[in-house]
Amino acid sequence: MATSPIEQFKIKELVPFEPAGVDLSFTNSSAFMMIAVGLVVVFLTYSMRGRQLVPSRWQSMAELSYEFIANMVRSNVGSEGRPYFPLIFSLFMFVLFGNLLGMVPYSYTFTSQIVVTFALAIAVFIGVTILGLVKHGLSFFKLFFPAGVPIYLAPILVPIEIVSYFVRPVSLSVRLFANMMAGHTMMKVFGGFVAALGILGVAPLAMLVALTGFEIMVACLQAYVFTILTCLYLNDAIHLH
Amino acid sequence: MKRSAWRIGWSLPVVALAIAPSAAFAAGAEGGLPQLDVTTFPTQIFWLIVSFTVLYIFMSKIVVPRIADVLEERQDRIADDLETAERFKGEAEGVKAEYEQTLADSREKAQALFRETHEMIVKEHAAAEAEAARKTAVTTKEAETRIAKEKDGALENLRAVASDAATAAMTKLTGISVDDTAVGKAVDAAMTQRGA
Repeated sequence: MATSPIEQFKIKELVPFEPAGVDLSFTNSSAFMMIAVGLVVVFLTYSMRGRQLVPSRWQSMAELSYEFIANMVRSNVGSEGRPYFPLIFSLFMFVLFGNLLGMVPYSYTFTSQIVVTFALAIAVFIGVTILGLVKHGLSFFKLFFPAGVPIYLAPILVPIEIVSYFVRPVSLSVRLFANMMAGHTMMKVFGGFVAALGILGVAPLAMLVALTGFEIMVACLQAYVFTILTCLYLNDAIHLH
Repeated sequence: MKRSAWRIGWSLPVVALAIAPSAAFAAGAEGGLPQLDVTTFPTQIFWLIVSFTVLYIFMSKIVVPRIADVLEERQDRIADDLETAERFKGEAEGVKAEYEQTLADSREKAQALFRETHEMIVKEHAAAEAEAARKTAVTTKEAETRIAKEKDGALENLRAVASDAATAAMTKLTGISVDDTAVGKAVDAAMTQRGA
């Protein structure tokens, strides 16, 4: 069934690669990760090649994305967030290009893979937790009991805070994955309607046009959400509450 | 318009969520959601690490320093230009103040000159007037002296004529010749009496 709406999420092996019995083949997902990285690098280096004082259009775009994330880090984390800026910028551009690349027909959306988003989220989670522990030692655990709260609330508050802390990587990854998957599934379903309804397919086609715009917005929005939540977690780790 | 677009936007996921699971079950024979196929996890994680590491290295070594450089350079340039502009503005203000100073000086000088000239003219005028007044006074005095002298002369003549007339009248009327001195006295008394 070639028109199954979830067919598009299938991993297809392109170059087999299986060292020590583990399947690490180069797949369509890997290919699009590489393409995204290539596009980000080309975009950000080629546009800046002139180093013009008065920027060209492409250079403005590169500078704009840089300053967007720089402001985000500055306002959410403060000046201590400076060393993590390249990482957060990479994260944003990677997710953004992954999402937007998925909007190109016949492409593959690697951000619709729960394992990819979860790997990114858990890396952020572990990194932030280690950073907090290194920076604050045992007082990092004050994060689970905010100052100024009456002590008798501790039995309720502490478990809630702990659960909400450990749910972070799950919510972070599922939000991105579910948004991307739902959007792409929906587009495929409506695409199927267009083909099935013949002349009446104009209605779902119009819907599909609107949906495409909506999905492009979601692609940008989810990249933004993923990045800003990373900033907030980083801020928690650096400043506690 | 915008609101309806939003409503459509929100209703779509609901439709999709209603459809997607059935579609997933339809594909169930082939192993359900492709995302949940655990055998693909190692390769995806591996290539994610590879690609993200490549991206991060590029970012931190090339892209971020370069953009930061350009932005900083621009910032410096703008600050520099602003500074230059500020300096030029200061210079212009100095020149303006100098010009105004010169203008004020010239005005003051002109006024001083005017005042001086005015004073000089007034002084000369006063001197000329005083001179004229003095000359007039002298002339007037001379004239007065002359008039007085002539008046005295006239009075003297009048006295002689009166005495002669008195003597002649006496002689003619009474035939007595009188002493000139007595006649003179009587005439004087009469003149004094009439207020001559």
